[in-house]
Amino acid sequence: MKGPPGRHEEPKEQLPAVEGVIADAGDLAPGDRVVYPNQGVCRITGVEVKEIAGQRLELVRMEREEDGAAVLVPKGKVPAIGLRKVATGDQIEGVFHYLAAQYDDPELDWKVRHRDNADRLIAGGVLGVAEVVKGLHALSRIRPLPTKEREQYDNARHLLVHEVAVSLGVPPALAEDYVDYALMPPAGVTFKLKPPPKPVELPVRPRRRPAPAAESEDELGLDELGLDLGVEALPEGAADSEEGAEPAAEGAVADGAATEVEGEGLAPEVPAPDELPLPEELPLPEEEEVEEEEEPPRIRRAAPPAPRAREARKPPGEAKPEKPGLRRGRFPAEAPAKKPAAKAPAAGAKAGARAAPAPGKKAAAPARPERGAREAKGTKTSKSGAAKKPSRGSKKK
Amino acid sequence: MIRIVTLERFDEGDIAFLSRTLFQSFGLGTEHAGQRQLPVEAERGDGRYDALALLDEVEPVRTFADDKVLYLTSAELSVQPGPLGEPPCWSYAQYGGEKAVVSLSRFPARGVSETSIETWRKRLAREAIHAVGHLWDLHHCYDARCAMHPPWSPSLPAAPEAELCSFDREKSERKIRLAKT
Repeated sequence: MKGPPGRHEEPKEQLPAVEGVIADAGDLAPGDRVVYPNQGVCRITGVEVKEIAGQRLELVRMEREEDGAAVLVPKGKVPAIGLRKVATGDQIEGVFHYLAAQYDDPELDWKVRHRDNADRLIAGGVLGVAEVVKGLHALSRIRPLPTKEREQYDNARHLLVHEVAVSLGVPPALAEDYVDYALMPPAGVTFKLKPPPKPVELPVRPRRRPAPAAESEDELGLDELGLDLGVEALPEGAADSEEGAEPAAEGAVADGAATEVEGEGLAPEVPAPDELPLPEELPLPEEEEVEEEEEPPRIRRAAPPAPRAREARKPPGEAKPEKPGLRRGRFPAEAPAKKPAAKAPAAGAKAGARAAPAPGKKAAAPARPERGAREAKGTKTSKSGAAKKPSRGSKKK
Repeated sequence: MIRIVTLERFDEGDIAFLSRTLFQSFGLGTEHAGQRQLPVEAERGDGRYDALALLDEVEPVRTFADDKVLYLTSAELSVQPGPLGEPPCWSYAQYGGEKAVVSLSRFPARGVSETSIETWRKRLAREAIHAVGHLWDLHHCYDARCAMHPPWSPSLPAAPEAELCSFDREKSERKIRLAKT
């Protein structure tokens, strides 16, 4: 099974080319100094041929200047990893003008920020690294950075300092003083700044759409198992409102919103066997109803029912006609009207007792107004939560 | 081991306080390794001393693997200007290396009262921690309460604390653990 594509392989086609990127390994000669993204400045020591896993590979051997670590890159991979030449004097000057420029607009969404910063470090060139340092530095003035970003800030600073040091031919400690002199100038010091260079363009990433619930239900083959996620049982209005809310959630924050939608809607929607929605038309034993009303609401989820009960509750053939009943049952306005119907006598079977979710739900609705409020919003969570209520009571029985 | 070398005569109480603070910050033994002369070769025309040249030219002290040497001087130091000018030089350290120098020329006056002396000593300790931190691969920190914050920063408090932030402390501890000795 093939795993996900490597970090360097995935976004390469979308990223704009940065100045100085080495497109052909033939351009490299021993003694050249190059910057390996996220690793630092390396010196080419030569090309060697090695047999790895039965393949004869031509490898470019590099040595990281900072600690002498050896890096071997297949020649064919050189254009893909974003290897680039050490920044020129002009580029470094642009970096310093960028660092010293006013900046008070840090990205506040941590997911976007973290992803963008990772892209900048890999494919943004020296200016991209400077952007990470400046962005996180600006953010640190608003609030302390979380641990991961503190590390990212330190790594970016490390890369920037070393590249500046190599480019200007000064020791790293001095390069760091230059960087911080631009970033945090002493009181009373002003610089005559040129217009900073254009920020690095980041790739446009496609946003993940959450899969439609109905589709996923079909894919899971839950119908065959006699399970119903209850998505179809949503009232028209609720369904519409959810459809309408979906793009808005996407528009907000790609992943975060998607996760939230999934978290609220789908995950709790997969019901425990005892939570399965059942038709309200089925008769309910009187004593069951009484017990349900007496039973205080419980937080603990009921254990899965016996297979016999499941069969009785939801035969495959009857599954479809049940849904309209449920759909009606989800309307909070209808709930009080249906309450008397719940008092139908029960057959005595446990399954039959569980088979009265709608009335029980309605009976429970006033006891827990927050559920009713959620129900009114038409969220899936509220629906499944309401469906649970009768089954819990009957379970006790 | 951190070895403090003075380039002129210093008060013993100051050195004792500094040794204690360095030991607390890095968990490394600290001692006064003697006094040396300021190298004339490092002097520039304007009366300041080139920090890089000073560390290259100063008379060495005997060290072992992973030892760090901290030179203290009251002479004003300078470094070569960068793309935006010359940053003020309070101290200079060979990043990840062995030697560092701290200049007292920019410190507030030491004074004679106990309070002012204590403030001065704290400032000396802070700059010493900053320089030794660079020797242990620490970068500048954005936190103004951390000793690794640039000493010229306008957000630095008037009497800064001589302590590392938790991130830098952990990083230095990690580096020290991974050291050869």
